Amino acid sequence: MTDELSAEDEAFYEQLQSMVGLTGSPKTARDPVNQSTIRNWCDAMSEANPYFTDAEAATASLHGQVVAPPAALNVWTMPGLFMGHQPGRDTKEPAAITYNALAAAGFRGVVAVNSDQVYTRYLRLGDVLTGTAKLVDVSPQKKTGLGVGHFVTTETEYTDQNGDHVGSLFFRVLKFKPGTGRKKPVDAKRQALIDAGLDPDEVMPEQPRRPRPLPQWNQDQAWHWEGLRQRELRIQRFTDDGTLMHPPANSNPNTHSLEYDYIVASGRATLYSYTVVHYPQVPAFDYPNIVGLVELEEGVRLISNIVGVTPEQLSIGMPLQVEYIDTHDDVTLHQFRPADPPRRTTTLKRGEVQVGDELPIKVIPVTTRLVVSGALATRDFQDVHHDRDAALMKGSKDIFMNILTSTGLTNAWLGDWAGPDALFKKVVIGLGAPNYPGDLMTMSGSVTEVDADGTVTVGYKGVNKLGNHITGTAEILLPKGA
Amino acid sequence: MNFARQTAIVGIGATEFSKNSGRTPMQLATEASLAACADAGISPQQIDGVSIFSAEKNPEIEVARNLGMPELRFFSMIPHGGGAPAGVIQQAAMAVHSGVANYVLVYRAFNERSWHRFGSGVQGRHQSPEAFDISFSWSSPFGLLTPASWVAMFATRYMHQYGATSEDFGRVAVADRKHAATNPAAFFYEKPITLEDHQNSRWIAEPLHLLDCCQESDGAQAMIITTLDRAKELSNQPAIIGAAAQGVAEDQHMMKSYHRPDITGIPEMGVVARQLWESTGLGPDDIQTATIYDHFTPLVLPQLEEFGFCGRGEAKDFIAGGNIELGGGLPINTNGGQLGEAYIHGMNGVAEGVRQIRGTSVNQVPDVTNVLVTGGTAVPTSGLILTTEA
Repeated sequence: MTDELSAEDEAFYEQLQSMVGLTGSPKTARDPVNQSTIRNWCDAMSEANPYFTDAEAATASLHGQVVAPPAALNVWTMPGLFMGHQPGRDTKEPAAITYNALAAAGFRGVVAVNSDQVYTRYLRLGDVLTGTAKLVDVSPQKKTGLGVGHFVTTETEYTDQNGDHVGSLFFRVLKFKPGTGRKKPVDAKRQALIDAGLDPDEVMPEQPRRPRPLPQWNQDQAWHWEGLRQRELRIQRFTDDGTLMHPPANSNPNTHSLEYDYIVASGRATLYSYTVVHYPQVPAFDYPNIVGLVELEEGVRLISNIVGVTPEQLSIGMPLQVEYIDTHDDVTLHQFRPADPPRRTTTLKRGEVQVGDELPIKVIPVTTRLVVSGALATRDFQDVHHDRDAALMKGSKDIFMNILTSTGLTNAWLGDWAGPDALFKKVVIGLGAPNYPGDLMTMSGSVTEVDADGTVTVGYKGVNKLGNHITGTAEILLPKGA
Repeated sequence: MNFARQTAIVGIGATEFSKNSGRTPMQLATEASLAACADAGISPQQIDGVSIFSAEKNPEIEVARNLGMPELRFFSMIPHGGGAPAGVIQQAAMAVHSGVANYVLVYRAFNERSWHRFGSGVQGRHQSPEAFDISFSWSSPFGLLTPASWVAMFATRYMHQYGATSEDFGRVAVADRKHAATNPAAFFYEKPITLEDHQNSRWIAEPLHLLDCCQESDGAQAMIITTLDRAKELSNQPAIIGAAAQGVAEDQHMMKSYHRPDITGIPEMGVVARQLWESTGLGPDDIQTATIYDHFTPLVLPQLEEFGFCGRGEAKDFIAGGNIELGGGLPINTNGGQLGEAYIHGMNGVAEGVRQIRGTSVNQVPDVTNVLVTGGTAVPTSGLILTTEA
């Protein structure tokens, strides 16, 4: 939606338009592609393909040597961390010129919205990359959920030390004015008030959320709840014959022994049964609320919430992994998410993949640690990805995940599905709702195309509580069958 | 059990069943008790025992005072909510058979729609370190707060193990509402539903739709129990208590017995079934009609299996083709059940059993000699067989 623009806005847009087509000077990476940076990147992304870190496996592979994860394409030429004592950024870069002009006009907020990576070849240790960026588009002023802003698109071509093309990046950001966006998602109730000419924030001021029903305990079960505070799932064990009981009992029903301690459960479990609660709705919970009967691998069952999934993604027997949530000042509860899907060590072959095949879902807990370590591993030192104070000042409710981390996590998940010999050709990412710490991102996708040359296209999305964090496609070349 | 076929229900009385009685539950209890006495043809002054649910909020001493009972020699309560309807009658039967009392009144009265909404569950319940209150700590913090959601957990697993579907549960609702449609006392009189209506009704707690759930009702039901010898002196045909039994099984919890090796059966109802068949010498083929407790449709199916009307997991086939409707092999809940007539914690279902024995049901099954009535499921429960044969 384009708002009515003032003459001033129009003139500013003219000025921005005049910058389109600017090409910056080639920027050469400060360091060659190196194992240390790759290793940090893989650790942050949970990327397990051995060809990125294991010289022996890599030498025996189709690559013949260690290669860099393709999603790290634009890590190498990132400008680095400037604390004031290094040479400043090149303000003649087309992106920098545009960003600075926008910031000066009040468009201080920035979020990445698109990143399309095309990989010509996998990078090898010692490669020295050079990137050349071109400003390809600046949009008219748009009203977005985050605020009034302009979309700025650059295209960067990467070459190696021999001048050969190794990949390209199509990158779009939104530069916006903090505080000019929608205050809250507009649901039907709010829309009705807006339609009636009322301010929903005035009519329905936000109420503090009522807490969940408080669990009660006495000395017979206190150890269980104390364990949860420490992120331990403790299950009662009668010491004489090892019988496990949940809920806890006062006497071993088999032997009548009164002696018990507890074990700390592994947290690995399967879904034994579940219900999706719709009504009545209690303000402490999000609805529909998924409540599962979870069978721990130790053999006992307990009631818990199943998170990171939609009701359609539930199936009895699905592997689960414990998580924890602090619900009151002194109460922590367990909850369960789908366990990480298995990593394929034998690569999918052409012909083993059909259009419509569903990829296993993967739920990624978005923690402050992941957001920060992902930003650092991708050498993205924008403060909004590691500095909470700076993020708040720039109109964000918290730090949020950078697009390179989202890309890395996506590729790691896709690689786990396809196997180590699959070759990534292109990964297209559209960014939506931000990934804030404390949320869960659920990756899901399916095969949308299978080409005769062995290229498989996967359509995927990563969904969090706010909506789609990422949506996109990936083109992956599978090896020929035996 | 030595009181088998030695006692009888001789009077039944109820108020109207509604969503807003406009009267207090105490008033309803009083009216239903008077009606039961009138139906039995006895004076309230003859009553010397009262047997009620521990969930009953209208004390027996208030009813005794209202009805002018000069003395009570026997008063008892059965816990665990809807599991109690045959339990309170068992208490009454044992009391009159042993000679502790002569005429025992049982009743259940509430405004579970217009006052406290029973289906809203335990969201604001009392907190204490006592064991009963602590038992909710394993479920309430996760939002598993309502009877519908507690039953849904069993239903999902049952569907998974036996291939039953939501439509199979819906067939129970359709049968109940068909029977209610021809029962003027039913709240849903002249309002039958189709399977499509059931499927289109909104979710409450998946896999339960709205139409899988019983009503919340205002109303009261009372009845009078005495010995068979005294019953013979009264004008009504006695509904002889062939047997009445209670049941709790291993690792029992309130509505959430989720920790047993298998959760698709109702073993506490199996405890009841074995006692009823052994005490009466009867079996599934001897039952012409039954009131199968139907707070939520999914648990009707495993009850049929526990009583041996069909094999484990085969109830979906047993109930197909209208077999549980009037004219079928085993018409159930001919009053409309708790989905169709009213939810009076199963006591109205016992009354329908009495009418089937007397031959006075509006949906009378021909040639009835034995009726099975079950109590609430997923809780400590009960069941009874009413018979024409001493």
